[in-house]
Parts: sequence; C-alpha cells; structure tokens
Amino acid sequence: MVSDERALAKMKDEDLILSPFDGIEKGAVLQECRIFNDLQLNTRRCEQVLIRLLYLVGQGDHLSSEEATNVFFSVTKLFQANEPSLRRLVYLAIKELAHTAEEVIIVTNCLTKDINSDVDMYRANATRVLCKITDAQMVQQIERYLKQEIVDRNPVVASAALVSGQQLIMHNKGDVVRRWVNEVTQALDHKSPMVQYHALALLYLIKQHDRLAVSKLVQSMCRQGVRSPMATVLLIRYVARIIADEPPSQVQDAYGEPRPFFGFLEACLKHRSDVVIYEASRAIANLPNVTPTELQHAVSILQRFLVQPKPSLRFAAIRTLNQIASTMPLAVTSCNADMEVLIADHNRSIATLAITTLLRTGSENSIERLLKQIQTFLSDIADEFKVKVVSAIHALCIKYPSKYYALMNFLGNALREEGGFEFKRAIVDAYLGLMDKIPESKETCLSHLCEFIEDCEHTQLSTRILHLLGKEGPSMPEPGKYIRYIYNRLILENATVRAAAVSALSSFAAGSASESLRKSVAVLLRQSLMDSDDEVRDRATFFSKSLGLEAYQKHTGESRNPEEVSKMQEGTKNMLSLPCPIANLEAELLLYVASGNSEQAFDISSVSKAAMMSTAGHPTLETGDATNRQSALGRAQRGRPTPPADLAAEVLKVPDFTSLGRPFKSCPPKDLTEAETEYTAQVIVHLYESHVILEFVCVNTLNDQLLENVFVQVDTSAASGLGGMTIVPAARLAYGEPARNYVSIERTDDGEYPLGDLACTMKFIVKDVDPSTGEPDEEGYEDEYGLDDLPLTISNLMAKPAELPGSFKAAWEALGPDNEVADSFLLEQHDNVASAVKGMMALLGMAPCEGTEVANDRARGHILLMTGVFMPGIQVMLHSKFTVASDGVNLEIVLRSEDLSISEVLANSITGTE
Amino acid sequence: MFSALWQSILEWLQTLFFQQEMELTILGLQNAGKTTLVNLISTGDFTDDRIPTVGFNMRRVQKGGVTLKMWDLGGQARFRTMWERYCRGVSAVVFVIDAADEDRFETARVELQDILSRRALDGIPVLVLANKSDLPGAIKDVDEMVDVFGLKDIHNHEVSVYSISAKNSTNIDVTLQWLIDHGSKKASSSTAAAVVSAPDPPSTSTIPPKPSS
Repeated sequence: MVSDERALAKMKDEDLILSPFDGIEKGAVLQECRIFNDLQLNTRRCEQVLIRLLYLVGQGDHLSSEEATNVFFSVTKLFQANEPSLRRLVYLAIKELAHTAEEVIIVTNCLTKDINSDVDMYRANATRVLCKITDAQMVQQIERYLKQEIVDRNPVVASAALVSGQQLIMHNKGDVVRRWVNEVTQALDHKSPMVQYHALALLYLIKQHDRLAVSKLVQSMCRQGVRSPMATVLLIRYVARIIADEPPSQVQDAYGEPRPFFGFLEACLKHRSDVVIYEASRAIANLPNVTPTELQHAVSILQRFLVQPKPSLRFAAIRTLNQIASTMPLAVTSCNADMEVLIADHNRSIATLAITTLLRTGSENSIERLLKQIQTFLSDIADEFKVKVVSAIHALCIKYPSKYYALMNFLGNALREEGGFEFKRAIVDAYLGLMDKIPESKETCLSHLCEFIEDCEHTQLSTRILHLLGKEGPSMPEPGKYIRYIYNRLILENATVRAAAVSALSSFAAGSASESLRKSVAVLLRQSLMDSDDEVRDRATFFSKSLGLEAYQKHTGESRNPEEVSKMQEGTKNMLSLPCPIANLEAELLLYVASGNSEQAFDISSVSKAAMMSTAGHPTLETGDATNRQSALGRAQRGRPTPPADLAAEVLKVPDFTSLGRPFKSCPPKDLTEAETEYTAQVIVHLYESHVILEFVCVNTLNDQLLENVFVQVDTSAASGLGGMTIVPAARLAYGEPARNYVSIERTDDGEYPLGDLACTMKFIVKDVDPSTGEPDEEGYEDEYGLDDLPLTISNLMAKPAELPGSFKAAWEALGPDNEVADSFLLEQHDNVASAVKGMMALLGMAPCEGTEVANDRARGHILLMTGVFMPGIQVMLHSKFTVASDGVNLEIVLRSEDLSISEVLANSITGTE
Repeated sequence: MFSALWQSILEWLQTLFFQQEMELTILGLQNAGKTTLVNLISTGDFTDDRIPTVGFNMRRVQKGGVTLKMWDLGGQARFRTMWERYCRGVSAVVFVIDAADEDRFETARVELQDILSRRALDGIPVLVLANKSDLPGAIKDVDEMVDVFGLKDIHNHEVSVYSISAKNSTNIDVTLQWLIDHGSKKASSSTAAAVVSAPDPPSTSTIPPKPSS
C-alpha cells in the first residue's frame, strides 16, 4: 500500500516521470544505427534504435544531408529481415528520411517487391512509401501496380493507393494519376466507406481544374448518393465550393427558384450521421447571400445539437450559430433559450461562444441578466475570448444606447480584471468608440479611464488616455477632478507617461479661462520644470512660457489681463495642431529632402489639406466575382497599368512640372476607351492652383505596330476657365508597354473654375512591326485615334478631407454662417431618396459624415451631411435634406464655406428645377 | 524479461547451427544477368525477360550449410555510385559480365577496376562471372577475359574468373562451390586470412575447368 502511494506521489510529480525518450541524442543514435550493417542482425535492438531515430526526427532534430544519407543506406540493409514490426519501422524511417537523404530511389525495387507480396500490411505501407520516394519519371514504371491496388478488394490497400495518388498530384508527380479515372471511379463503389471517401477525394483532385467536370462529378454523386458519411461530408464541401465559385449574376438569375444543389444540402440535413448533418448546416450557413428562409431548417438542426451530450457537437453548433449571428442575428433568436443554458457549460469555449452569440441576438431587456452571467466567468477565459466579449459589448452599446450605463459598468469592472495588453486595449478602444457615439456617456467614460490609469502597466494605453483627458477634460463640467489623476501620473510614472501628463495638464490651462485653474496648473507644472527627463522638462518649459504661467511659478504675484491670456492660449493651440494631414506632410517632407534643395525653407502651408487618393477605391479591381477577376487578370497580363499608390507619383517625376510642386488633388484614373480596343487610354487629372495637368496612360495592344511621338490633343473650347496648354508627348509606345504623355493647361485668372467637357484625340506616328522579329519599318505615317470626352466636374475640384470632423455640428458652428448659401430644388430625375442621395454624393465628391450616406430605399426623407475641401484648400460643409414629393425628390440645401463665391458655385452646380 | 532471455538463447542456438552465414554483393552493368543468376541460385529455375532492377534486390538462400545473403544491385549508371555502400564488409563480391556484349566490355572494365580500387573493399575476394556463354559470339576463354578486364593488375583482391551460362546452368555448380568455400573460409578463420592470400597472381590459382559443352 505504502509503496503504491509513493508511486502515485511520484506520478504526480511530473519531473520524476522518466520518459523512455529522455536523453536521446543525435550523435548517439547515429552511432547506434551502425548495427543495421551487422552480419548477424539483432532485430529487437534494430527496432529500438529505429524508434529512437524516428523520435529524433519527429522532434525536429535536423540531420544533414550526409548524415541522413548514411543512416538511410544503413536502414536499407534491414530489408533482409522479415519481421513485420521491424519492416513497419523501416517504412516509417524511409518516409522520414526521404526528403533529406539522397538517392532514396534505391529502395524502389524492394518496395515493389513488397507491393507484390501477399501480406496486405506490406502492400499498403510499401505503396505509401514508394509514392513518397519516387520521382515523376519513375512513377511511370510503378503505375501499373498502383492501378491494380486501387481496385483491390482489401480496403487498406485500396485506400493506400488512392491516398498515394493524392500525394503524387500534390507533389507535382501526378501526371499519370490523371489516367486513373476509370479505376478510381470503380473504387467509388467499394464496399468500405473509407475507400469511397478516398476515391472521391482523389477523383475531385484529378478534375479540380476543370469546372465543368467537377460540376458533373458532383451532380452525379449527389444523385446516386454516397454511403460513406465521410465521403458525403466531402461532397458537401465540394458543393459549397461550387456554389461559392458561381458568379453572382447566375444566382440573381435564379432568383425565386431554389439555387442549384440546395435540395441536396437540405436532404443531407436528414442524414443519419451527425457529421453529415453538421457539415450540411454549416455549408448552408456559409452560402453567399443566404436568405432567412434558406437558413431556417439548418438553424433548427443546430439548435437540436446545442442540447447534445457530446461537447464537440455543442461546440460545432454554437460556433456556426455565432457565425450566422454576426450577419443575421434575427435568424438565430429562436435558439436563445438553449444558448442561455450553455452559458453555464463546463467547456469555457462553448460558454464564451454562447455569450457572444447571445449578445448579438439578445433583446434589450435581457442584457443586464447576460452581463451578470458573463461577469462570473470572465476571469476564467483566455484573453482572446475576452477581446471577443468586449467587442460584442461595444457593438451592443451602440445598438442599444439606452443601456449604456449597465454596459459601461461592465466594462469598468472588466478594466479592473486581470488581463493582457490586447484585452485592455480592446476595452479602451470600446470606451473611445462609445464616447464618440454616445455623448452623454462621456463623463462616465472619462472617470472609468481615470481610475484605470491609476494602476495601468501599459505605457501606450496610459499616454493615450492622458491625451484624451487633455482633449476632453477642459470642456467637462468639472475639469478640476481630472487634474488630480493627471498629477498623480506626474509623480508616479515613467518619463513617457510623465511627458504625456505634462501636455494633458497644460491643455487644461490652455482651455480654461478660470484664473484659479490656471494658477493651480502652473503650480503643479513647477516641479516638472526640474524633471530628470529632457522631454518632460522641455514640454513643461514650453507650456509655462507660451501660456504665461511663469508669473505664478515665480510668485511675482502680477496677473495678466484676460485678453492677453486668451491670445496666448490661441497661439499655443495653433502651434500644437498641424494645419494638414500627417500623411501629406510626410510625403511633402520626403519630396523636399529628396530634392536636395535646402536653401529654400520648407513651407508647411503649401501642404495639401486634402486626403490623398489611394488605389483602394479603384472599382474594377475590387469586385470579387470570377468573370471580373479573370478579365482584370487578362488586362494585367496585357500590360494594362495598375494605378500606383500615390496617384501623383508619376507626374512629380516629370521635369517640366516639378516647379509646380504637389497637386492639390489627383483624381482616380478614368478610362477614355473601351476595354477591348486597338489602343487604350486612361487619364489622371491633376489639379494645381494655376494649372490642370492631364496624365494620359496609353497602351498599344497591337503587336504589329510601334507608335512614336504619342500625344493627346485636347480641345478646351467647351470648357471654362482654361487657357494655353503645353504638351509633353511620349517618345515611343511599344506593344504592351504602357507609356505616359502629359498635357498641362494653364488656368485663367478670371476666377472661373475648370469645368466642362474636353474633347480628346490621340495623335501619333505609326511604324509597322514584324511581330516575329520585332523589327520596325523605317518609314512611318501619321495617324490619330478618337478618345472619349473627358468631363471636368465639381467633384474633380473637390477633395475629401483626410480626417472627418468628430462632430459635424461642432464643425458646422465653427465655420459660421458668414458665407452661407441656402437653396431648394426639385430633383425630377430621382424617384426615391436613396438614389437622390447617391446622385448628390457623386455630383459633389464630398465626404459624407456621421453615417448619413446610407439611406433606406423606402424612406420618405433623409438628411445627408457632407464635408469637403474645395480647390485650393477651402473647407466646405453641406447640410442637405431630401423629402419625397409626388413628382420627384425635394432637396433643401444649406452650404457653408470659407468663401462665399465657392458656396455659390457649388449651389449652382446642382441641377434641378427651383 | 523472459522474451529477452529466450531471444538470446535462440540466437546462441542459431550461431551453433548456422554458423556459416555469408554476405555477397552482386555487381555488373545492366542486363548482365545479375538478377537472373540470383534467382537461379535461390530457386533453381531460370526465368527470362526480367524488368531492370531499380535499386537493389535482397535474397537469402541456404546452400550446403551456408546461408547466402545476396545484395543484387541495379546495374544502371545511376545506381553504380551506390555499389560501394553495399560492398563494405561482405564476404565476397561477384561481378557479372555479359560475355556476348563486346561493345560494353570497356565500360565494364572501368567500373570493375573503379569499384575494386576503393579502400573500403580491400581484401574482399572477387568472383568475375562471364555470363551468357550459351550465346553465339560470347567469349568463353578465361585467359582472354583476364586480359580484357585487366584482372592481373588487381593486387589487393583474390580474383577468380568463371565462364558461365545461367540459361543452361553451365558452371553454376562450380560457382556455388566457390561461394560456399569463401563463405566458410571467412566464417571459420578471420578476415585477415583473406587479405594475406590476396596478392597471389589470380590467373594460375583460379583458372576454372574448361566448360564442358
């Protein structure tokens, strides 16, 4: 008894358990492998050495090619022994060494012999090893054995051959495998489920690049049915893949009628095997654009799984439900009762998924109860899940703003919990998001965050919160209470946080007119003037000076008059805020440094305030369906240019235009030709204060022509505000290589904006080329090619600001009513609000604010708020109200800007009857 | 515990009864008849029309109280570099030549000389077999073989030459006897003995009887 207990105690102490694999060393094992060469083999010892060798390789110990080759050849000597257990280890060893050792082909003959033996275990294993070591050329010689094995009666042998076929295909040795279709099809009817499964997988792999063949295979399999559950699961996956690959247009055509294969999926929901049922419901849940009706049956199946005793089933079901809930919460609400039970599940992963699903599907009145339940187990789960819970709560807060108080309390508690950086950051992010969306929550948010930084180990989060306090604190009803928290940071934290605290503290002095507040800030800052860290000291000194706080610090007693103070505050604020987006500033600075011209000082006011356009908005490349993707691919192959990330990158390189600097705005590329024409041209419009530069990107798609001196002639007679032009032609336009040419048009001084249509004609000299040699003819002739007109509209002149205002209302008030223009129109061309909103956005090219760009099709009215930067950097804001009228859409606009004439130009550009 | 003990008893018994175990390596260019010869020795039947050996064949045969372990290696050029790995420590090396394929004698000579010049093979007795003596135009004269393949220049091996026909089973019995003799010699005495006897000029002591046919 006693010894038993001792043994148990030993077992518990994990350090004391000796693994049979302890202390295995590569050198020793390689030494031991020499016994394989002994004249008289000791098979038992050989087995043990092989096991050690396999362990070593399995643990990732690297054998050099030479070591592996030596060991491998020793192992081949073991083919003389006939013990099944030793032979099996030999197979494994060869498979493991096959990649590193050289000349592994030497065992081919031995393995072929084993394949032809009458021991099924040898046959199956030898097949797998043989396919592993063979090369593409050798496969031909062993093909007939494999083909025979595929139709073998023994399931182990047949499966080994089928799986080996897959391996061959995956390692690009599979050309012969494609000839096995007959045998593999025969194996589909094998009585063993395993063989059916492997046969289907191989058949699919053989045909996978032939869409039609795959679809035929799947169709016939669906019809005749498969007996093996695993094969059915596979079939469901293939069906799902076919449906997902189908171009969406076809799905739309079949609107109303059930989509192809849906009947099969539904039938699988009635299968007797759980795996199949689950796979089918998962496939249905993942259908593109799945409708609630289609989902209904699958959801009810998953609901049944939720109460199964097997944890794997519950987990699978709740995971899929969770996925559905993220897009269609309503479809899952029927499972709410069952999911609530799962919150108490032993398995934490199931419980967490249940919670996050419920948070999405739950109704407003169940939130508080849910929160209480989460609270109890939040500390038990992994950070990754905690982050998920937090983001679910965040989403919920925005959905039900009235519940913010309860949710916020939950977040506050969560902040106090143990947790890693990711978790805390998710919470802080959630707070920031909430403050934006729910203004009344601001005070609670700030006080929670203040508490958090009292005991926060993450410098990054502390500085972020301090910055926030500096920004929001001064405008709160009781600014004084935040100062205490900030001051604590000054005393207790590291230099980075202290510096942030100084800035935050100073912003209270900068943002408040109260004499006493300024005074206390000055006193608090005094000690930072002597801080050990340079940055902290610099900041403290700077703010003390610029805000006029030294007076208090030196006890001179004299106070400044309020006017002077507010002037100083204004000055400090201006100094701290950049007049332009950082990305633009960075690009300009890089350009400045690259130019090497350090004589001239960098002028920050020349940096554009507009957001830089990026490729993300390029429409043709974004649509994901197959046909479009293919044509996009085809274009790229034909040398169609893809726009560079910085649209102005090319024009900045042209020597003639460097004096102009960076354009105010570069519009996204616009096609001036159809896609499939002899020559294609795209234009990028660059707008400058004094010029408009058109960058034409031309492609010659004829391989028997070389174009020279290519330029585009632009007729400006139908446009306003444009004067003389300069042309920079492209010297040569060879087949398939895009070339750029430019037209620079001066703008007139009369205050007219460049608006109207420009007629464009491409002119060039053609030289015929012999496509086979690529040699052009000596003689060329002039020719021209008509391009589409290029319209210049208001939206060309308008840029979207880099950062949207946090509050439209505040920015609107700040702009003031001085240059306000109000007008109303009847838009007859639109019959619903949504299309009118879309039209308005396209017309003006401004950035919509506060999510007002989404209008419901059936809404009677809508308010659209937009902001933009008009050439050459004038802020414009628009408040527009749409209402449905009997004969169109009524539009009332109020435009504010920094320039009255611009407000008028914009208002005039809106077409409609007044 | 018991099984280990049992195993060692078994092994001891084995050494008593099957003391004479010998390892052979069979080399030669492709299509010389190596695999056919091995099959003939192990089964006693002649099988024609073999597919080329990819890699090697391993055969164990009991002959006259000696267990022969035969490593029959592929003769294609890609496998010749690997021959050496299977020659180390064997009792004898058998080199099979297609006696009717005069065009490849030179290649066979180079390969034979090359493999026998390796240090690892020093002292291992070599049996050169001129196979296919039944074919018209095949060299049957052993002295001619010694000259053509430069066997007199080999000093650190005991070299013997036989002219055989696997098809007609000509001289297979003497070949077997040679193998068994060398197997027993090695097993009973030591490897050193083989080395000492090596420098004898091979042609005199090992010229086989003239073929009877």
